[in-house]
Order: sequence, then C-alpha cells, then structure tokens
Amino acid sequence: MPTFDLHAFFQLFKYDEAMPLLFERGFFVFFFALFMICYYRFRNQFSTRRYIFCLFSLYFFYKASGSFVAIVIISAVVDFVISNAIWRQSNKTSRKLLLICSIVFNIGLLFFFKYTNFFISLGNDFFQAGFKPLDLVVPVGISFFTFENVSYTIDVYRGQFEPAKKFSDYLLFLSFFPKLVMGPIVRAHDFVPQINQPYALSEKDFSKGFYLIVSGLVKKLIISDFITVNFVNYIFDDPGRYTGLENLFAVYAYAIVIYCDFSGYSDIAIGIARWLGFHIPTNFLSPYQSKSITEFWRRWHISLSSWLRDYLYIPLGGNRNSTAGTWIFATLFFAGAFFATHNIFGLDYVQSGAVSGLILLIFILPAMITRETKGVAANMNLLTTMLLGGFWHGASWNFIIWGALHGIALAIHKLWMLITGKMLKPINNRPLYNLVAALVTFHFVCFCWIFFHARDMDTATIMIGQIWNDLSFSVWGAFAANYYPVLIMMASGYVIHLLPDNLADRLIDRFARMPLVVYMALFFGFLILYGFFKSAEPVMPIYLQF
Amino acid sequence: MNPNRRVLHLVLYSTGLFLLLSIGAIWLKFDWLPFQRVNLVSDVLHNRADSLVTENTKKDSLDQPVIVEVKPALDFNLYTRPRTISSFSTDSSKASLERFVRKLYALQHGQPVKVRIAYFGDSMIEGDLLTQTLRELLQKQFGGNGVGFVPVTSAVSKFRQTVNATYSNTWTDDNFKESKTNRLYLSGHSFHSDNAWVQMTDQTSYDSGALVEKSLLYGPSPGHPQVRVNGQPVTLPGTQPVNRTVLAKSEARSVRLDVADNSLPVYGISFESPSGIFVDNFSFRGITGIEFAKIDSAFLHAIATENPYDLIVFQYGVNLLFRPNDKNFSWYARTMLPILRKIRHSFADADFVLVSTADRAFRYAGEYRSAVGIDSLVKAQAILAYETGSAFYNQFASMGGTNSIVDWARQKPSLANQDYVHPNHRGAAILGNYFYEAIMKEYYKYSKSAGATP
Repeated sequence: MPTFDLHAFFQLFKYDEAMPLLFERGFFVFFFALFMICYYRFRNQFSTRRYIFCLFSLYFFYKASGSFVAIVIISAVVDFVISNAIWRQSNKTSRKLLLICSIVFNIGLLFFFKYTNFFISLGNDFFQAGFKPLDLVVPVGISFFTFENVSYTIDVYRGQFEPAKKFSDYLLFLSFFPKLVMGPIVRAHDFVPQINQPYALSEKDFSKGFYLIVSGLVKKLIISDFITVNFVNYIFDDPGRYTGLENLFAVYAYAIVIYCDFSGYSDIAIGIARWLGFHIPTNFLSPYQSKSITEFWRRWHISLSSWLRDYLYIPLGGNRNSTAGTWIFATLFFAGAFFATHNIFGLDYVQSGAVSGLILLIFILPAMITRETKGVAANMNLLTTMLLGGFWHGASWNFIIWGALHGIALAIHKLWMLITGKMLKPINNRPLYNLVAALVTFHFVCFCWIFFHARDMDTATIMIGQIWNDLSFSVWGAFAANYYPVLIMMASGYVIHLLPDNLADRLIDRFARMPLVVYMALFFGFLILYGFFKSAEPVMPIYLQF
Repeated sequence: MNPNRRVLHLVLYSTGLFLLLSIGAIWLKFDWLPFQRVNLVSDVLHNRADSLVTENTKKDSLDQPVIVEVKPALDFNLYTRPRTISSFSTDSSKASLERFVRKLYALQHGQPVKVRIAYFGDSMIEGDLLTQTLRELLQKQFGGNGVGFVPVTSAVSKFRQTVNATYSNTWTDDNFKESKTNRLYLSGHSFHSDNAWVQMTDQTSYDSGALVEKSLLYGPSPGHPQVRVNGQPVTLPGTQPVNRTVLAKSEARSVRLDVADNSLPVYGISFESPSGIFVDNFSFRGITGIEFAKIDSAFLHAIATENPYDLIVFQYGVNLLFRPNDKNFSWYARTMLPILRKIRHSFADADFVLVSTADRAFRYAGEYRSAVGIDSLVKAQAILAYETGSAFYNQFASMGGTNSIVDWARQKPSLANQDYVHPNHRGAAILGNYFYEAIMKEYYKYSKSAGATP
C-alpha cells in the first residue's frame, strides 16, 4: 500500500530553485488543467477571466523564478503609468522625457541583472580594478518582458497604439504565462486587443494548437534533449579530446539542438495560446532552408529580429539615415575588431589594421558602387543591430563575436547581390543554385554557432582547430557504430526541419474533425516515447584515436 | 459545439487518465521504466518497498566475498582512507614508499641526484592533467626543471599545455590498440618513419638559466642510424632494446628531430635538468593496465636499466566501468596480478603505488549516480596493491566518494566534464594537489625519523 507524502506534496507548491516550472514538468499538467477549468467556467465574464489569467500567470512565474515575480509586477506598474502619461501628455518634450524614463528603467533593469558582472570583469581586465563580481541571478524571462515593455511604450509614444486602460490588461500582456519564460516576444498592438474577446475557437485552432504543442514537445524533449545529453555536452565540454569528425558532427548536432529547443518552446507557447484563443505569430520558419543569411534572419527567431528592426535598427536611422548611435557603435566595433585580432589572434598592428580595414571596406563598398552615401549608414546600423542582438543573448564576448559575424555576413550578402545580382539572374532560381546557396548559408550559420555555444573563446578556437587540422573520415566506422542513436535522432531532426512549412495545415485540413480519443492516443503515445528516451541508457563517448 | 469545449475535454480527460494511470502504476508496482520516468505522482506517492530494493542492491556490491590474506602488522581496511598513500602498515609513523622518500630527502639535502616518477594512466591523465600539477609542485619543493618524457605524436598534443609539439603526419604509430608488437615503450607507443620530423617545446616553468638535457629514447636498429637534431646530423650509438641518448644539453627549451630510417623505433623525447625530480606522464586512452601484458619482461628490464625510475604510479580503472551494472571485478584482479608482479619485478628498485579509479557516474533511471560497481572495483584494486606489496591511494575517496563526479560536473565553474567520467583541468589540478600532499605526508614522516637518527 503506497504512502502519501504530505510534506512533499506541500513542497510542490513552493518555488524550487532546482526544479523551476517549465512546460515539461508534471506540475504543469495539473496547473494547466486547473487553469482550464477556471478559464472555461468564467469565459464569458471578461474581467474575472482576466484576473484569473493574471493570477495563474504570476503564480507560474513565481514557480519558475521565485521572488523575482515582484519585478514583473513592479515593471508592469511603472510602464502602465508611464505609457498612460505619455498618451495624455501633449507637450513633446515631456513625452520624450517620459519615454526616456521608461527605456532607462527597463534597459537598466535588464542591464543590472544580466550585464553587471560582465562589465565588472571587463573593468577588472582593463584597469586591474579588482572589483568583486556581484552575486546575481538573472530572473527568468527578463530579456523577453523588458523588450515587451520597451516596445509598448515606444508604440504609445509613436501614437501607433492607445495604451491599455485597465491595469490588468497590461499585466496580462506582460505576464501571459505561455510566453513569459522563453518568448516569443509579443507586441501589444497584436496582443492586447485579443484579451477581451469572446472565447471562441475553430476546429482548426483546436487541432493546430494540439499539433504545435505536441510537435514542440517532441522537438524539445525528445530530439533536442537526447542529442544534448548524449553527444553535444561531451564534445563542447572538452573539444580537444575529440577528433575533428566528432567536433564537426557536434556542430551539426548543436545546430539542430538549438533549433529544436528554441522553436520547440516557441511552438508550445504558441499552441497553448492558440487553445486559449490567442494568436501569436510564428517564431521560426524552417530557418536552415534559407538561401542567404538575409533570408535566415527573416526565418530565425522572427519575434526578436523584427523587434530589433522596429525598435533598434529604425531608430538608429534604418536604411536611410545615420545617428550618433550609428557612429558610436561602429567606432566601438572597429576599435574592438582591431584590438581583438591583435590580442586574441596574435596579429601585429599592421595585420590587425588590414583586417579591420577589409571589414570596413565590405561595409562601404556597396555605397561606392551605387554612389549613394546612405548605404554606409544602413550597413553600420545593421552592424550595430546585430552586435547588440548578439549581446542580448548573453553577457559574453562569444555572443558579441557571434553577432558581429552575422553583421559582417549580412553586409557581404548585400555586396554579393549588388555585384552578381544581374549576372546570376538566369540561374539563381535553379534548384542546384538554391541547394548550393542553402548549404553555404547553413554552414556559415553552423560556424557561428560554435562561438554561440562554446564556453569561451579558447574552447571555440580549439574546436575550430580540431575540425580544421584533425578531420579524418577514417574514424567514421567507429564513430557511427557508437553514436548511431544520436545520428538517427539528428537525422530525424533535420527531416522534420525539411518538411514543407504548410504540411501541418494540409494534414489538419485533410483529416478535419477527428474524435477526441485519437488526440488522447497521440498524446499518450508521445508520453511513452518521452519516457522511453528519458530512461534510455546514455550513449557514452568513445575514443576514436590513440 | 464550440471547439473550446474540446480543449477543455481533452485537457481534463487526458489529465484524469494520466493521473489514474500514475497512481495505478505505483499501487500495482508496475515498474516499467518509460512510464516510471513520466509518472505524475512519484514525488508524493511512495511504496515503502522501493527503498528496500535499492538498499539491497547497494549491499550486494559491497558484500562480495573477498578473501584477503591476513598479514602481520598490516591492515587491509586502510585502503578506504582518502588522500593517503597507504602501505597498509598499522604503524602510522612509518613512511610508505620508503626508498623513494629517502632519495627525495637526499635531493632536498643537496645531493645532485635525479628522482624520477613514472605516472601511468588512462584518459584521466591525458594531456598531462594531474601530472602537470604534481610535477610543478614537486619541482618547486625539491628542484628540477623539465617536462619529462613526451611521446612523438599524441591524439591530444594540441590539448596538452605543458608541451608544444608539432610533427609531420608521416609517422607510423605502433601502439597498444593497433599493433601486435611486444616492443612498445611504456607510453604504449613506438614510432617509425623513413621521412618524418617532430619539434617540441617544453612549456613548463623553468628556473632562469637552467640547463636541460633533451634525450632521445629509441630502440635498436641495425647499423648506426643517423638522425638530424636541430638540423645537425647525429649518429645514434645505442644497440639495446631501449636506449637513451642526450641530443642536446642547453638552456634552449626546444628541440627538432628529423628521422629518415624506417627501421629505427623512436619512443619519444625527454626533457630533464641534470638533477631534480621529474614526472613522466604515460597516458593511453581507454586502457585498463592489462595491456602491459604485451610488453615482455626483458624489454621492461631494459627500460629499468637505461631509464630507471624511483616511483611508479599506476592509475587505471575507469575503463573497467564501461557497463553501468557491472559489479564483479575479481576477474580483473586475477588478470592483473601477474602483470603487476612482472612490472614490479622488472623495476626492482622502484617503489610502487597503485591509484584506484576515480568516481564515474552513469544515468540510472534518468539520474546520474556513481557506478553501482565502483566500491567493489576500488576494493579489487586495493587487493592488487596488498597482494603485490605495493602502496595504495584511494582516488575515489580522495575526490569525495560516492556521487562526487556528479557534484564536480555540476559545480560552477565545473570541475569535471558532462560525460561524468573526466575531471577537467580544474578538477585534475585538485587531484594533483591531493596526491602531492599525500606524498609530502610520507616525506615528512621519513624526514622526521631521519632527522632524529641521522
């Protein structure tokens, strides 16, 4: 006869640092079921429904991040007050001042939690200041909800959007639990109007929501987690121990891992939202099918890249003007490139100057070809956007380098189009050309992932060194024999990725309305599959060379 | 019907069924692992019997019948002590590794002798991990410059910090795993080529102006083969199975060797100052020590004559734990015993310490925990030391015992890799420190008694 552990039961309701609430936790099943009952019961009383939603969302955040829930509430109050003040204020200067207050508050918050220690260590490196790093934990989701706050006040400031009149509307926009922790970043003008709508779903909403949730869970919990635990972690931890082939495959593996992980979470969030009557735009559109780096950024983490476009790239001057920000960041970048190539890659000052000059040339060549100076500003704005976009992912040089590489690649792609656009017109829609372009793009993106995921610059350089110097296919047999479960998992990840984007919609249209039992069977099928891979014996690394 | 009701129904029915199945599975003791892993209520609903089962399996691995011969003044159970080099002696004031620490004492007191340690191991010490710390600390304490022995090529030469080695890809590598020859050097390798080069730079810290001998270790070759050292031709005089010839004695830290004689077995280059303490790292991936059966005793004897050691450290074991549920390692003790005796016999002047496996974890039911057989493996290794009259050092206990590798891998910054096998350079430095301190403990015991009775 089993015993019921009452103490453990009560502990479940408290925040546990080691077990933050995520969609895959057992607790979430109960959370969501209870929420559905309340939400459904009060679906027609909009304000009660809203309060319930806010309460559940804040509790979700508490379970995911503990007392940091206070930050969400405080920042909701601050931004609600400021945005309404901006809307009522007609004086231009006051409006601008209020906007600056909001931006400083939000970015300051983000900066304090996420970047303080980075700048402390930077200060220590440069000035031997000897400051102690602060004992800071980054609140879950802070990168997402501060960006949502900023876009909200800017939209109000631009007069594009009338601020929410009820605080609970605003609080719900900010804390909406499906997207609170991992995005996507939603925009107020998309989202807020949906809050007080009747809860009506179509059959398609139901089945598409189900599809997104289950496929997202498969991508995240089965494919991504399996490959991470059984392969990627080993190699990225200590790349010098492994052969070039293992390192190369670790990069391919990480590319599919980060896609499955990130897009899987987004899909679950979008699917749950869909079930609750909210439409959130797609966040990933098979990004590795892109035929250029420019296209990649239209397909990868769309909510972030469009946010950066609207609230960073355009205010910097967009593709027409330059502002002080453009030149400050561009100067910082070229100074950084000069000193980084000198210090990290050991080039002398002449060589570093040549490399930096070459990069500069890439950015100004298009303007020289078209004889339009605004092209330079556009490129510099793009570079700044990518640098800060990289830095948004985390406080480390690796992310800055990652952003810089993408910024340079975007400029190169522009240049390439300018030079070869007319010449390649007859062939640039042929399948072979597309295949080559997609492969080149994919490999460039993979190359950048090394910097994104490696612990530090040293690890990234060792990894690239192993791939470059030590790549031998003679070890393929032993490699495949040991890692075949991982390879199968990777292959299925890539196959899912290559499926046409509208396949799900076509399937849903084809099968139309299926009985509930079918959905339940599919869900339990997923559960068993998840349990199976979660309990599978680990694939251990082996030695391919002696 | 508005499909929003379908959402509600699907969620409620699925949750309800899931909950019922979860409770039912625990009630009926349905222990199918894939379902156990997703059981919704396993945190709050327990079967008492569960804990009993795990207790039992734990006991099994410890209570293996092991017969240890009782010897006078020795206590086998001393093997469990962490961070101690134990010769199993019940007299705790008596130093273990007596000949070795006596020579250390002489070195410390001004005699210009060489004290040499051969540290054998698997991937745990690859890239000079652990040994680089040990060497640095010992050389700081007792003097000596030089990284010691370096094999011609190595899978981890890029990763090794203490030597910068570049070499042509024209070397043929005979080794433990890929050849049948019984003339392999202690590193498990022997290289040859009709046209190859290697350049090495010792990166360990030197006293300024220290002289360092760069010696070549090589095998027999008909005729007197010529090699080029830093571009200059040198004729090698050796005819023994193992020969040691000084190539250069200077302040320079680098040496380049060109070989154009396929019949010449080249083992490696050693960097040593004329006196001091030296630690040679002999690491070979994936082995357990049994591979030394391949090297015949005449060859070992030749090494001991030409390139003598004062202390041999033998650290293996992690590769015996390649299956998560293995618990019986008496076969290993049986196979290893004659091999250890052979090595001990060949290196008759050397003290010997057997280092146990470090901790290694597997995922059991989704959670990383120490290998279930680790206690019995450590015990089997202790028996080997006890039976061959060697000293024993419990690496597993030293790093913290059960689940320490899990803890090490999760610390920030981490001390071990996510494979839950290998301590990284930070972790290895800690292990190196512990081992150094253990040596010093024995050294102080000796110097205390030597100081009292000169």
